[in-house]
Amino acid sequence: MARWGMVINLNKCIGCYGCMVACKQEHYLPPKIFWGRVLVSEAGKFPSVKKLIYPVLCNHCKDAACVNVCPTGASIKREDGIVIIDYDKCVGCRYCVMACPYQQRTFYGDDSTQYFPGQGFTEWEMIGKELFPLQEGTVVKCTFCAERIDAGIKRGLKPGVDRNATPACVNACPAKARYFGDLDDPESEIARLVSERKAFQLGPEFGTNPSVYYIIR
Amino acid sequence: MVKAYDWMVKCTPQTEWIEHKGILLWLAFFFIELGAGAYFVGSFFNSLPAKGIGWLLCGLLGGGLHFLYLGRPFRFYRMVVRPQTSWISRGMIFVSLFLLLGFINIVLGFFSITSSILSVLTIVLSFLVVIYGGFAMCCINGIPLWNTALLPIIYVASGLWGGAGITLGVAVAKGSAQMLTGVEEWVHLLLISFIILLFTYLISINYGTIAAKTSISEIIKGKGWYIFWIVVVIIGIGIPVIAMMTGSRSTPAAILYLTLLCELLGDLGMRYLILKYGFYNPLIPKTT
Repeated sequence: MARWGMVINLNKCIGCYGCMVACKQEHYLPPKIFWGRVLVSEAGKFPSVKKLIYPVLCNHCKDAACVNVCPTGASIKREDGIVIIDYDKCVGCRYCVMACPYQQRTFYGDDSTQYFPGQGFTEWEMIGKELFPLQEGTVVKCTFCAERIDAGIKRGLKPGVDRNATPACVNACPAKARYFGDLDDPESEIARLVSERKAFQLGPEFGTNPSVYYIIR
Repeated sequence: MVKAYDWMVKCTPQTEWIEHKGILLWLAFFFIELGAGAYFVGSFFNSLPAKGIGWLLCGLLGGGLHFLYLGRPFRFYRMVVRPQTSWISRGMIFVSLFLLLGFINIVLGFFSITSSILSVLTIVLSFLVVIYGGFAMCCINGIPLWNTALLPIIYVASGLWGGAGITLGVAVAKGSAQMLTGVEEWVHLLLISFIILLFTYLISINYGTIAAKTSISEIIKGKGWYIFWIVVVIIGIGIPVIAMMTGSRSTPAAILYLTLLCELLGDLGMRYLILKYGFYNPLIPKTT
């Protein structure tokens, strides 16, 4: 079984926020809900200051803290390594939100929030409620576009290679800074990048073994 | 308001368990542990009123507030399926069993029927209820202020201290001198333990990561200073220490009740600070 993962080349990332927008658009995410974010920081002191740009998303950890602490079994780790939430089981205790050291989970507390307050839901928001119905009072997060991967595989496509089987943020990146594929397949591009380019994970001290890697060179 | 470039770049405070509806969870943990503590201490003095008050505090106030905090409260029964990994799941089992068996034990006690097996079982369960909140928090390794083995011990000390205070209040109301002396010893011992544990905890955390240092700094000299120094240290610890030194026999009942109130306020303040100033470690490795 594959273990889906992502490699992000920080040298290529230009901090355009395209991945954030693509994710919101792909899943019709309501206001204030982001499944992917871009963190911007600075390192060093003047005159040798360096800008750091880190796109972050759910790490779909191999030993996911959020899955371990979930009291209802709503947080599930699929066989292919993708961590998803069964909204029908989630009780909204937010223990997973606390347990995720990467803070990649969000409590969806208000279903009535509109992009244009007082003017009703736009057609786009209405479509979103049909296609990706989130449940008020539950926790939401990035799914690695599991629905695209599943549909693509059914059609014989290869995630990370064929666009229709690849996460939206990877497709949208104009700098081609994101790579997606099977971490357990030594022949895959991302497995090669991880082994050859000194890829690192965020917060290795947490012992969660994330499936999202970063490379600098 | 967290600026976009502050989020996870600098130390970020947790908000879900203390802000907005999170306030309910803070109160829920307090009442659950206080109630179970009162039941635990009350059991050793065979005090039915203390056990009854403890059961009500734990079940009605604690359980009710916890229920209201949930995003989907009517699915609460689902929270028992992962006891092998989740402390919330274990806690839910402990609380449910404690409330059920505790109720039976109190009703039997009301009719002067004693069951030693049931008594021991409910005492064990009440202790597990007191301790589970601390374990639920200490296993969160992203927040160094919580990720310490001292936290469950402090919560046990404060839960039992509060419970002993309630039992002392019952003893004063009943005018039972023998029980008063016995409970007073518990209160004094637990007060001293709480003070030692709290300061050991704060000092040891300060030697940790940047997020740990930020938490302690915010508690002691930052935005939480007035809660820490006024509510926790002066009201919550100082006044009970003075009361301990004067002794309960020479103190009027009203002052004793006031001391109990101060004790509970201090406990509540400490729990607020621990929740409010739980900071996550920054995510980006090199920041200025």
